[in-house]
Amino acid sequence: MYQQNASAPSGRRETVRRTKRNRIYCLGLCALLILMLFMPVFSWIRAVNTEELYGVMNLKASVVKKLTADHSVLTFLSFVETSKQGVLGFWAFLLLIVSAAAIVFCLLTFAVYLRGSGRQAEKGMLRTFSVFQKGMCFSFLAAAGTVGLILYANAHYGMTGFLPGFAPCAVLALSAAGYAVSKRLEKEERILYREHGFLRELRKNWVLFLFLVPCFVFFLINNYLPMTGIYFAFTQFNFRDHLFASPFVGFKNFEFLVRSEILHLTQNTILYNIVFIVVGNVLQIFFAILISHVTNRYLRKTSQTMIFMPYFVSYVILRVLVFNMFEYEVGLVNSFVTSLGMERIDFYNTPHYWPWLITFFYLWKNIGYGMVVYLATITGISTEFYEAAQIDGANIYQQIRYITIPLLKPTFIILLLYALGGIMKGQFELFYQLIGNNGMLFNATDIFDTYVYRITTTQPLSMGLGTAAGLFQSLFGFVLIMVTNMCIKFKNPEYALF
Amino acid sequence: MKHLKKTLSILLALALCLALVPAAFAADDMAEEANLVFYVMGDAPQDEQMVEEAINAILKEKFNATVDFQFSTWTDFSLKYNNQLTSGGADLIYIANWLNYGLLARAGAFLELDDLLNEYAPELRALAGEDMLNMCRVEGELYAVPALWPEYVPLGIKYREDLRAKYDLPYPDSIENIEAYFAGVKANEPDQPILRCTTSESASSLFVAFDAATILNIKYPWSGNNGLPYGLASNYDTPDQVYDYWFSDDFTEDMKLMKKWADMGFWSKSALSDSNDSEAYDNGLCIAEVAGMNPNKQISSANNFAKDHPEWESAYIAYGEVTGVMYPGHATQNGTAIVRGTKYPERCAMVLNYMMTNEEMNDLVQYGIKGVHYDVVDGVYQNLSENFRYENFNTWNLRVNEYKLPQESDVALQAMFDKYNEIAQKSKFPNVNIYGGFTEDYTEYEFQRTAVSNVMRQYLAPLQAGLVDDVDAAVAEFRQKVTEAGLQECRDGFTEQWLDYCTEYGYQ
Amino acid sequence: MNKIKDRSTIPFHIVKAVLLTLLSILCVLPFVVIISGSLTDNLTILRDGFSILPRNLTAEAYRTIFRSPAGIIQAYKMNFYYTFMGTALGLLVITLTAYVISRKDFKYRNHVSFLIYFTTIFGGGMIPWYMMYTNVLNLRGTTLAIWFPALMSPFLVILMRTFITGSVPDAVVESAKIDGAGHWTIFWKIVLPVLGPGLATVGLFQALGYWNDWYRSSMFSTSSETWSLQFYLYDMVNSTLAMRQMAQNVNINTAELPTQTVKLAMAVVATGPVLLFYPFVQRYFVEGITIGAVKG
Repeated sequence: MYQQNASAPSGRRETVRRTKRNRIYCLGLCALLILMLFMPVFSWIRAVNTEELYGVMNLKASVVKKLTADHSVLTFLSFVETSKQGVLGFWAFLLLIVSAAAIVFCLLTFAVYLRGSGRQAEKGMLRTFSVFQKGMCFSFLAAAGTVGLILYANAHYGMTGFLPGFAPCAVLALSAAGYAVSKRLEKEERILYREHGFLRELRKNWVLFLFLVPCFVFFLINNYLPMTGIYFAFTQFNFRDHLFASPFVGFKNFEFLVRSEILHLTQNTILYNIVFIVVGNVLQIFFAILISHVTNRYLRKTSQTMIFMPYFVSYVILRVLVFNMFEYEVGLVNSFVTSLGMERIDFYNTPHYWPWLITFFYLWKNIGYGMVVYLATITGISTEFYEAAQIDGANIYQQIRYITIPLLKPTFIILLLYALGGIMKGQFELFYQLIGNNGMLFNATDIFDTYVYRITTTQPLSMGLGTAAGLFQSLFGFVLIMVTNMCIKFKNPEYALF
Repeated sequence: MKHLKKTLSILLALALCLALVPAAFAADDMAEEANLVFYVMGDAPQDEQMVEEAINAILKEKFNATVDFQFSTWTDFSLKYNNQLTSGGADLIYIANWLNYGLLARAGAFLELDDLLNEYAPELRALAGEDMLNMCRVEGELYAVPALWPEYVPLGIKYREDLRAKYDLPYPDSIENIEAYFAGVKANEPDQPILRCTTSESASSLFVAFDAATILNIKYPWSGNNGLPYGLASNYDTPDQVYDYWFSDDFTEDMKLMKKWADMGFWSKSALSDSNDSEAYDNGLCIAEVAGMNPNKQISSANNFAKDHPEWESAYIAYGEVTGVMYPGHATQNGTAIVRGTKYPERCAMVLNYMMTNEEMNDLVQYGIKGVHYDVVDGVYQNLSENFRYENFNTWNLRVNEYKLPQESDVALQAMFDKYNEIAQKSKFPNVNIYGGFTEDYTEYEFQRTAVSNVMRQYLAPLQAGLVDDVDAAVAEFRQKVTEAGLQECRDGFTEQWLDYCTEYGYQ
Repeated sequence: MNKIKDRSTIPFHIVKAVLLTLLSILCVLPFVVIISGSLTDNLTILRDGFSILPRNLTAEAYRTIFRSPAGIIQAYKMNFYYTFMGTALGLLVITLTAYVISRKDFKYRNHVSFLIYFTTIFGGGMIPWYMMYTNVLNLRGTTLAIWFPALMSPFLVILMRTFITGSVPDAVVESAKIDGAGHWTIFWKIVLPVLGPGLATVGLFQALGYWNDWYRSSMFSTSSETWSLQFYLYDMVNSTLAMRQMAQNVNINTAELPTQTVKLAMAVVATGPVLLFYPFVQRYFVEGITIGAVKG
């Protein structure tokens, strides 16, 4: 965007670059050191006075044997898991996430640096600095958090049981120094490339930030703060210790993922969702185009309304209607089939009919709803395009092919991408209501959500299990969407989600 | 910007976490007015406000406390019930075994009551008696006060007696006679559906997968309804002698019977996906119901028949009448607990004590204001206003035998109870609901348990619904799958706890 | 719109007419069945299943639903309130946000988009969300707790962004900026006026979401005063079903409803008003072609 920066005098740039290089190598060394300190061989938390400490934690001798005296951030989690210390578990878990972020950003620094120096960098070292600073911030947080954890634990047990090891102190110092140096270097670089920082942006676009305030408040309250609940996936909830102090159980809640026919479920879920998304959108576009070509406005409105109506039929009612249709003895379809003199069809005990039926009812219910988006987009297309095309002699197919469809493409791609993140989720009601608990059909109709629903009803208090299942779905969708979005951004940033 | 937000959200998360840790157990200060939330099931009566005011006028004066009944509504009630406990919004709460009382108590959702009752509710403790209270103990601790009204909720078969008489068929009091009765009706009225069955709705039960299989209770003198979980069973007289049902020849025979019945058309071939429709029987769309039928259901059907179809007649045979195994509903069927984290544990105990030991108060809570909402005519309850009906706060947990006003239908109900009591007295453990008092702790093998329940849905349900071609092959497949799912771990874990329980209470 | 009809378009119009007619019938048929079912006697439905025309005509189901008129009027009132609040405020904040993340000169637009999209993928589950509103914000029993949690949805924000980028060319905004217009002016004077179809679509989705919601009423209400219409109706059937289920364990009195027909009548009662209002919004995305001609 800021193409003009290329006009900086090349001589001055060369000298600045050379003097700066050494300092940049210092930063690289700093990141490297921090990365090393995060390795589990370094002691982050030292357990002094172990006997008394294990005494106040009410641990049996057999458990104590399993606990080593010194702990890195990584091993501390297993310590809280074995010693069943809930609050420490929550804290250690946050630390683990922060540490992971620190490691990722430190590593990314090198990646970005290498990529940036490999080809003509857009904004010089700015991206490298920004990534490096994130790495430093997280490192600092991790180290400070560790110290905080130690202080808290000592206060909580009323004794000096833990002391910080060498690593957190070193990380604290290194990250603070690294951050300060990089900030200075960044400032020089900023001036060079005329790229402004956050404060400038805030001053320049304060109205936009103002526009965003409600959005931030909303998502903070409704989504980001409750996200702390993800931690419950790693605990065994009980009311005595309550939410954040219940015993930490590590990955026990995820065990069911290994045990069940997880591959089969994943395959079912993804296949159904792909069909729903792709076929659904294609049909929505198709019918939206058809409707937009209805010349009589009353017909146009009426048919649009009619196609929208299935949206109002709840799945509970749909279940009753579908059962009435496909029941073996008195169902409508079978009454019809027998009146033709043919054999009855045993729908409810034959799995292979159901992928078709479920897809049909999904499309039936959702075409009208999804179509509105495409109708509105078509409506927004200026008639000038069509008029010009008509003058050029384009027929109706050509108009659709060369005007309507290309203009619908961005919307189509965004909706597709949007749906991708939820590919492991969704449509629980549809499956649950149409199939119910009919185990005969599970092979063809069991999706992740229905499976998890059955698990959680067999284990009424399994809050951790439900959260663990949700986390698995989230991670799956997250990886998928990040990779896809990156590819799309690489090819055509216009179509990217973020 | 991003860093700032991240830091901020972590800090806020910590703040949230601190806010969520419940307030420390504070001492109750009688001078401070206590507003107690009493969480009960179902929907609020129209005149909730009016009755609460009447209740609170008394409570305020006596204990400086007020009670606010809060209702779960029947939508997603078990989810909301658990939420209420987790978020700590209630002081007193309705408990029941079908709301997982045992599991919740084990997880520490309720306060230990022994000391509180001794100090603040001695009358209630005396009225209930230690035997009743002991049934509510979980791992030795008392967490709930049961309702003090004995009731029987056995399983049984509810059937159309008029059709039986019309075609001169046998009473359905054994497997053979049930078959003869169903077949007889089917032969005479080919278009009349016999049963409406579906998959067993309560997924947490690991007993049956298709509800028609409940009928097998007429054949075995099992210690609990449908035997024990995981395909085990033991007889009521010898609860600690656990034997294997799923891998026995009896099981194969029973599955062949179910297949035979399915082929005779006793239920729909699409039954596995049918929605459980209890309107069917009352409207003549089936001639019998065999699962989840208790005396109360029989009486309500009989009333409906009398109103809509006087020419029809409904009759009921409890399976226990045939097998001789009869026991009352368990104490944890209806009870009251004090929620852990309440600010006023003492006041909760006092209020509960007063509600259950003071007749005037008990009547007020259960039936509303006398003269406005109800009246007593010849010792029988008469409703005066739709705005507050019988037990309209849904406080079945506050039923007390001495104060409970009978309704008209209670006469027939009591007659049935008397009959069952007679049978129960003859059994080895008179009037003890053995399985009902047992809470299983399955944390050690919860994944195997889940897998077993999945296999039951997938392989046992079609077997019990008779939808398989070759019973022997299907039984073999089911046995193989359920073994793979980890049946043995579940059985070992369960049996160990069950035997401990039997030993502890002397059920040997 | 296509006045010059050449012969090659004739098959197109035939196919169009046939397909649309078929789909419309397919979509409207179940609704006809529902309406006729709601007017049929409950026993007839249970015994003979559904039909296109009502048999044994009765308004029993509607009488059941309306048996306490005060309750249902209150529920309608609350539903209009929630729908209005949620749609008006929601549409405003969604559009503002979407405008910001559609501006190419806003440095952090991708960060913000990511933060918004991220919430669709990760969530802490129902319990922390519930406790956020009940324990931290103390909103249990208030109407705020019922409309606030659905004020914005990431889907609608992203959708709105697509509409804005599609209907407001960059050049227009750039030239306005050169003329000295601030973001405020650009938003109100340039973006909003051409955003008709987008506003209509997002508004419709938002309003339908609110109109059909029962979940938040179920979670956060402490008295029937704040129930939404859907929950009022839903709970009526649910209580009959749940009490029947419960009566298998305990001796209690159950109040009976003709559930089958009541369910159907519920669908009619809840959908009716929407179908009345629908045409007013519909013109923006069905008739817009002529509007486009005027503005073009």
